[in-house]
Amino acid sequence: MEEKPSKVSHKSLDRHGSDEERKESVRSDIRDLWTTATLSQSELNTPLSDVCENFDAEGRSISQTRGWYGQGRCSLDEGDKASQKLRRSSSMEISQRKEDTASELKAEKSSSTSSLDIVKHIPHHAYWAEQQNRLPLPLMELMENEALEILTQALRSYRLGIGRDHFLTKELQQYIEGLKKRRSKRLYVIVKDTLGSGRPEPAQCHAGSPGPSLTPSE
Amino acid sequence: MRLKQGSLLWYLYLDKSYCLLSVRNVKALVEYFHLLDVHGKNTLNDVLFYHFLHHVTDLKKRQINLVFDMLDWSAVGEIGFEQFYVLVCILLAHQNHLEEQFMYRHSRTVFDLLDLKGDLRIGPKNFEMYRFLFNIQKQELKDLFRDFDITGDHRLNYQEFKLYTIVRINKLQKRQKKTEENAERERSLCSRKCRIK
Repeated sequence: MEEKPSKVSHKSLDRHGSDEERKESVRSDIRDLWTTATLSQSELNTPLSDVCENFDAEGRSISQTRGWYGQGRCSLDEGDKASQKLRRSSSMEISQRKEDTASELKAEKSSSTSSLDIVKHIPHHAYWAEQQNRLPLPLMELMENEALEILTQALRSYRLGIGRDHFLTKELQQYIEGLKKRRSKRLYVIVKDTLGSGRPEPAQCHAGSPGPSLTPSE
Repeated sequence: MRLKQGSLLWYLYLDKSYCLLSVRNVKALVEYFHLLDVHGKNTLNDVLFYHFLHHVTDLKKRQINLVFDMLDWSAVGEIGFEQFYVLVCILLAHQNHLEEQFMYRHSRTVFDLLDLKGDLRIGPKNFEMYRFLFNIQKQELKDLFRDFDITGDHRLNYQEFKLYTIVRINKLQKRQKKTEENAERERSLCSRKCRIK
């Protein structure tokens, strides 16, 4: 048993060319082996696009989140590669494999009810945004409202200090208008949702609207 | 100096042992800073800084200008996120009565901020200008220079300043111990009275 892992590791070192292909195949196998309990955890390794299409409603590149997930995936791959190859290669380890699959089945059964619920009720976009270490929407709203008040006062100072025609004043004015538009879009969506469903829902308005870190338009 | 209730900073908090913000709080602060960064330079100019501080605190214009001069350590007329973060930590330390811990934990940073001339010494005038940030009373400041100016040059070098922060936090811990002991004595007295009745 001890020889087999070393043989496997040598083989893996030799095959540099097919590393990426192996990683992809291992990833897909890992997803099959995962229990559905992991779906409820925040540090997921399943790509968001599989669960929630067009996730990046704030206009940010999805590749960032995938990159973040990719790091997690690689670390998981390294831990599971050896175990996977052991199961496949050795005929002597069939009993061990059976035990492993049995334990996996037990774990899967215990979370089967929760997994069905999770699969049936795919979480709201706002929930995923929070789970992806993004700031909660109420906090974003508080920040934007406060920033708007501060910047409106600053605009007055700009006009008094450097005049209305100065490019900095115009830049600030455009920025404030952009911020107000975003806020009004969010309020419109909330009103629309409440009229449609009959109850208030979290805002889901960031599709197509610029994120808070964007510089003002030139 | 008080933070405005309901502002974003009101909802942030410092870790009591290290007197720093958590990663989650820093993330919120980064977003907030970017919202105020109107011109896309990752900085706040003096006007934006003034209106920000005027909105979230009860500081006067003179005090806000002093704080800006203190934080603009490169003298470029703008404040970057690093300086903004230090300012927020100072404000929160003051708000939550953690000034002693903050000065003890970050004595080097505070010393460098107060060392306006860059000659590795803090004069009494500079310290007097900024004592409102660290809740130091006038008499306490006089005692500080009298007791800790070991070299006798009427200024504090870093070692003297560090010693002051250590002594200050020791005094605080003794005071806290005393208040806890007094509270316990009162509780035991009350319980005895109740038993007698």
